[in-house]
Amino acid sequence: MADVELKTAPADFRFPTTNQTRHCFTRYVEFHKCVNAKGEESDDCMKFAKYYRSLCPGEWVEKWNEQRENGTFPGPL
Amino acid sequence: MNTKNTTLSRTQFQFQPFHLVTPSPWPLLTSFALLILTSAAVMYFNGYANPLGGSGALLVGIGLATTVAAMALWFRDVVAEGTFLGDHTILVQKGITMGVALFIISEVFFFISVFWAFFHSSLSPTVELGAQWPPVGIATINPFELPLLNTILLLSSGATVTYAHHSVIEGNRRGAILGTLMTLVFAILFTICQGIEYVNAGFTIADGVFGSTFFFSTGFHGIHVIIGTAFIAVAFFRMLSYHLTDHHHLGFEASILYWHFVDVVWLFLFITVYWWGS
Repeated sequence: MADVELKTAPADFRFPTTNQTRHCFTRYVEFHKCVNAKGEESDDCMKFAKYYRSLCPGEWVEKWNEQRENGTFPGPL
Repeated sequence: MNTKNTTLSRTQFQFQPFHLVTPSPWPLLTSFALLILTSAAVMYFNGYANPLGGSGALLVGIGLATTVAAMALWFRDVVAEGTFLGDHTILVQKGITMGVALFIISEVFFFISVFWAFFHSSLSPTVELGAQWPPVGIATINPFELPLLNTILLLSSGATVTYAHHSVIEGNRRGAILGTLMTLVFAILFTICQGIEYVNAGFTIADGVFGSTFFFSTGFHGIHVIIGTAFIAVAFFRMLSYHLTDHHHLGFEASILYWHFVDVVWLFLFITVYWWGS
């Protein structure tokens, strides 16, 4: 079997509890802040992209993407 | 007549210091009125059709009016028993004071639950709010404008009511009347200022959990201010009618205790909801 590197977002001491909702939200916001600051395809931002895609349920990401397009996203972008 | 040891004479004395109340219809009337008020309110909130038609608000109004009337008639009897019939011995007065204190403590627990709700939502705001408090999009009220004035009004009313109380104890009728009148003026000014705040606020009770907790906490506090104002107003009119003595003025003291409780709740509200929460 080929060696596949499996990893997920690192444990963040700011979010010690089982409920990682806030962790997912923070990483999603971080990624979009990075993109707004550095541009769409910047490599630095891909780290945050991997984190939030590991942590967040697909439905939430879709819902937040829609909210961003409508201008109703509640996060500090 | 009272000196002879006859059955008739002995009925003129009671050999224990407590007040055994004569039968009264007011407790039962109050409980029926409260039943109408509470069930009408539940029906109105849930949009049930009601026998009087319309939104059901009329039945709530009827329930409220009968409750207030029943309470007024009951308290009127207590005043008659204490001031005119002499039933309120020192021990009865102590019992009444304990009763008032326990009632206020129960109200404190009610406000504890209200503050609990506020802190539950505000200490760890959900992602739907943007994980921040105040939530994204809420235009909060500057605590150092009208709310600060309200704080000063209530603190001043506490000072004027203390002056009035001391005047009553010293037998200073003019001071007592002026002090109580100033207290009522400050109380009514507070209510007017809160009304102005409510009308001009940039958010409503329907604006998420911020709106809910803000108007729930300040709204119930406002209701208690109005009740406290009425309580002091009744004591004021009794003072004008010469009901109070320098040693016996329980209704006045109870209204003062209730007013201090209202003041303290406002101080907590100001610091947590208005200042920290903005």
